[in-house]
Amino acid sequence: MEQTTQQTDLVKTEQTDFDKEFHPNIVALVCNWCTYTAADLAGVTRLKYPAEIRMIRLMCTGMIDPRFIVESFLRGADGVFIGGCHPGDCHYINGNLKARLRIGGLKALLQGMGIEPQRLALHWIGASEGTEFQKQVKDFVEGIRELGPSGFGVYDSI
Amino acid sequence: MDIQEPKVGVYICHCGQNIAPKVDVEKVVDFAAGLPHVTVARHYKFMCSDPGQDHIIKDVNESGVNRVVVASCSPRMHERTFRNACAKAGLNPYFFQMANIREGSSWVTEDTAWATLKARDLVAAAVARVAGHRALTTRRIGVNKSVLVIGGGIAGMQAALTAAEAGFKVSLVERDTSIGGHMAKFDKTFPTLDCAACIGTPKMVEVSQNPNIKLYTHSLVKDISGFMGNYKVTILKKPRYVLDGECTGCGECAKVCPVSVTSDWDEGLSQRKAIYRKFPQAVPGTFCIDKLDRAPCTMACPAGVNIQGYVQLISQGKSDEALRIIRERLPLPGVLGRVCPHPCEDKCRRNEVDSAVAIRAIKRFAADSASAIPFPLPKVDRKEKVAIIGSGPAGLAAACFLRQQGFGTTIFESSKHLGGMLRTGIPDYRLPPEVLDREIGFILDLGVEVRTEVCFGEDMTLDSLRAEGFSAVFLAIGAQAGAGLALEGEGCKGIIDAVQFLKDVNLGQKVELGERVAVIGGGNVAIDAARVAMRLGAKDVTIIYRRTVEEMPAYKEEIQAAIDEGIKISYLTQPVKLMNGDGCVAGIDCVKTCLGEPDASGRRRPEPVQGSEHVIQTDTIITAVGQRVEAPWADKEPELVWTRRGTIEVDNDTLQTSIPWVFSAGDVATGPATVVEAVGGARRAAEAIKRFIENPDHPLLEKKTAGVSPEGNWKPFSKHLEPEARALAQHITPESAVQGFAEVEKVFDPETARQEAGRCLNCGICSECMECVRVCERAAIDHSMQAEEVQEEVGAIILATGFKTYDPTPLGQYGYGRFPEVYTSLQFERLNNATGPTSGNILTKDGRVPGRVAIIHCVGSRDKKHKAYCSRVCCMYSMKFAHLVREKTGAEVFEYYIDIRSPGKNYEEFYNRVQEEGVHFIRGRVAEITDIPDNPKDQGRLTVVAENSLNRQILRTPVDMVILSTGLTPADGTHELSRMVGVSTDRDGWFNELHAKLAPVSSASTGIYLAGCCQGPKDIPDTVAQASAAAGEALALLSKGWVSTLAETSRVDPDLCAGCMMCVQVCPYSAIEFNHEKRVAEVNDALCQGCGSCSAACPSGAAGVDHFLDRQVFAEIRALLSG
Repeated sequence: MEQTTQQTDLVKTEQTDFDKEFHPNIVALVCNWCTYTAADLAGVTRLKYPAEIRMIRLMCTGMIDPRFIVESFLRGADGVFIGGCHPGDCHYINGNLKARLRIGGLKALLQGMGIEPQRLALHWIGASEGTEFQKQVKDFVEGIRELGPSGFGVYDSI
Repeated sequence: MDIQEPKVGVYICHCGQNIAPKVDVEKVVDFAAGLPHVTVARHYKFMCSDPGQDHIIKDVNESGVNRVVVASCSPRMHERTFRNACAKAGLNPYFFQMANIREGSSWVTEDTAWATLKARDLVAAAVARVAGHRALTTRRIGVNKSVLVIGGGIAGMQAALTAAEAGFKVSLVERDTSIGGHMAKFDKTFPTLDCAACIGTPKMVEVSQNPNIKLYTHSLVKDISGFMGNYKVTILKKPRYVLDGECTGCGECAKVCPVSVTSDWDEGLSQRKAIYRKFPQAVPGTFCIDKLDRAPCTMACPAGVNIQGYVQLISQGKSDEALRIIRERLPLPGVLGRVCPHPCEDKCRRNEVDSAVAIRAIKRFAADSASAIPFPLPKVDRKEKVAIIGSGPAGLAAACFLRQQGFGTTIFESSKHLGGMLRTGIPDYRLPPEVLDREIGFILDLGVEVRTEVCFGEDMTLDSLRAEGFSAVFLAIGAQAGAGLALEGEGCKGIIDAVQFLKDVNLGQKVELGERVAVIGGGNVAIDAARVAMRLGAKDVTIIYRRTVEEMPAYKEEIQAAIDEGIKISYLTQPVKLMNGDGCVAGIDCVKTCLGEPDASGRRRPEPVQGSEHVIQTDTIITAVGQRVEAPWADKEPELVWTRRGTIEVDNDTLQTSIPWVFSAGDVATGPATVVEAVGGARRAAEAIKRFIENPDHPLLEKKTAGVSPEGNWKPFSKHLEPEARALAQHITPESAVQGFAEVEKVFDPETARQEAGRCLNCGICSECMECVRVCERAAIDHSMQAEEVQEEVGAIILATGFKTYDPTPLGQYGYGRFPEVYTSLQFERLNNATGPTSGNILTKDGRVPGRVAIIHCVGSRDKKHKAYCSRVCCMYSMKFAHLVREKTGAEVFEYYIDIRSPGKNYEEFYNRVQEEGVHFIRGRVAEITDIPDNPKDQGRLTVVAENSLNRQILRTPVDMVILSTGLTPADGTHELSRMVGVSTDRDGWFNELHAKLAPVSSASTGIYLAGCCQGPKDIPDTVAQASAAAGEALALLSKGWVSTLAETSRVDPDLCAGCMMCVQVCPYSAIEFNHEKRVAEVNDALCQGCGSCSAACPSGAAGVDHFLDRQVFAEIRALLSG
């Protein structure tokens, strides 16, 4: 709680519109070889995208344990964005396809728990697709903004 | 170190102006200083600089910092730098974590406050994560100091030579029969106009002579396993059917080979033989035989005659050789050439175009026209003897096959003449007795002993044969007795059995017939009996058959011939009662039938129609309703087991009976069947008898012939193949035919036979006519060669699989495939090549020197509908073509281009030179090529329609020849190889390099390198440069002698592992094995690539990837979301 106050102070002193609109918490789990590289490319090309997204670099989407996603929602994430290599391009042969299977299953489960399936997105973004990364992140963040807070962050209320 | 209290040092980098102004670094430092475990927090202008790194080293050494977080650029940039700094300070490099606040924040965020906030969160996450890091180590693994190069084009050759020159062993695998690749197809190379052969062939020879290079041509890489430095490669060597090292490349074989196929080397512009060498300078120079599955006709033949082989030899006018092939499996070619029901023709793929090749008639031509050559005499004479009971087709064939093996053979025949049913059952107008006598004569000339008028069961028994010294007995007594009708009135005068009737007539005995003859039955015997009755003077012959013509077992041509000769057929008519007149037949009570459900034989059962009873008046009834085996001696040989159908029980493959030394084939074993089946059975029985005599204890069957895939791998043929009418044998007129017993069908004349044989599609490509074997003085040809798998162990792999050119067929507006004078670039390369179809003369297909030539750039390239990319080489080779056309023919040349791309040493100069040579350059994509001329004088020319986009003028240019400068696409099989080696491809299918600028010949998998066009279109100089570079990269890896294992690999906690084996299943590298003793999964860290599939799949949380452990990722997630 202490940190949250700090954060608000920081932004307030910078005179932004921080409180005026909903700023979702978004976790991105991306693979090192394709989507993280695309994000780097977006950076090098100075493509701007919403700052609400926080990226975690993993070696492959195939190593994403569904618990990572559930934990994110429990910790107050309003959306989870997953980015991997296009099918056939996986650095580890087929990790992305395994991720697709798991995330497909998890979406149904999340819905049962009251989390809109749109809050979890899986995108194939290749290493050279910096603009695609920018576009997908923008669209995702906007989508979550429209959905509003997930209200699922149980740890917040404890 | 793990259990030490974490003391985190946090370092925020300004990256000059890249981070600092956007991110308030001081605020971030203040924030970081307040985070748990943080003991030091600093910011600095350039953390990657030496003074920056020194901060870290100093803090580790002096302030007890044992975890380091640097917030700067992407870890893909400087993670290694800072890990090294940690290592320098004596800290395990994996106690380091990077926060990407440049690419991840300052560069992508508009707002300063937001950028700072995001940087803070990223730092917090890194701090939380690094606290839970573990010290990791790597281990060295030795490498195998040899290289695998896949692809033998100029890239593969160059890479192989570079590595071999450095002293490393190289395995070069090329799927074609020769190395050389596309370059060997070219005549000249741009821009220097070097002769491609002059610079390419020495390389090829060099490769073949380098002692460090093991060359695998006509071979495929079937499997690659292992990891960098230690790959296991399985190479499939396809059979060449010609022995490398024995073949001198003299080419005599190709001269006699009867089979011609379209030459893929000449891009379809010429024909080559089934035994071939791509081009004279091919390396290796060994010929190769193009062999697919056995042709469907051969597969269908019950006797297994190599039909495609003899048909091809007939097409070459080689009757004697054709006969030799037929006789290998069929000792009675003249007989079968007349009476065979030719199941082969039903399977002939020519049926899909027009109608089957007249195979039977061709066989007859071969038998009738070949000179009277005897069978080759047996090479050895064996002392063992075989008794053959019966001299029908099975007996004669078995005698021939066994005698050729050297066995003593004795035929026992109950009647006076040899031939069995061939003599007594088939009327002379179908099989003249001279033909039969001649062919029996050839068999007897082998030294077959004959005893006629001896009856099995009476004059000799199995015991007496054994006593006489026979080692085996072959029972082939046929099915000689007619089956009865079981009808009321049977047995009265005027009712004759068809088998007996035909036998009497054939043996010249007098048979009395009335004027009206009715034949009951629908088989060939019925038709034969009817036609013979006609010839004996009957005025009115009617065949009574209870089903329709569709179900009739008689051959269609025989039925037609009978009708032509005036025989009536009463279908759907069932005899009920044979009527007696004054002691002889007066007629038949019949009933009409209709067809019901299919019966056991699969034919629809006839059912009587109520109230349709009628009478067919007749004087003589011939019953032809089947045959059966007649064996009055059966009781005397009680050990011989019979089937319920009254045939001898035999093993399907070996034809051995219940008495081991007795074999049986033909009608007595199969029931009434065809001559060719009897011969086929005799062949199998003869082989089994041979094995039985040589070693009775061994299994008689060597191995079952491999099953053929339902879709045979046969030569494809064009859907647009011109139909050619099937040749029909001449027949004597029905009117004269019925006058006597002269042979009805005439033999083909030689020209017809050749033409008919020429219709053969050569489904199997090689026809196995063995002509090549006959002429090869070195005995270098081995048609029985099999594919072979070879294992190689290598440390590095260079992919050099090249390209193929874009197939312009989808660009219908250019008319490729419709207009003969539209060529692809590779076709033009061959047309212009001294070893090509025109010996290097640029000529149209009808042999004219073209006066005007259009060259169209960017065909398939730079076109979003096809390939969006530029193929890089087309502009240059198009201008090379223009120069060569100008030089060789003086023709006017029109180049239709979009942009001219001539970057490269002396390329622009070449462009200028070609312009100066008077070539017309028109900037504009061609809209259409049409054969409808604007001006009648241009009839026969093609008109190229385009807009000159420089002056907006529509041009309609008549030309004689069009060359399509087709783009480059990845070679066939690139995708499969990509999966095999784990190197990804881009959206166009080219292999992905590790880094477009800094690692253009490396792949993302260390140990696998890229050379030449498999990575993207490029010209020869670039290809060669890249190949040498790829070899250099490979050598850098191999020379070091070892590789590090990854630190970030998986491990399975044996205490938590439940033994479910989920991880074993999901591991893409087979790096996890199940220890059955301990019931836990174990990771092989040399194979593990750290993908984490196991970690995500493990239900018990036992599997985890080091450095990406659950607790580390969770810490990162929690910290990110607590901000």
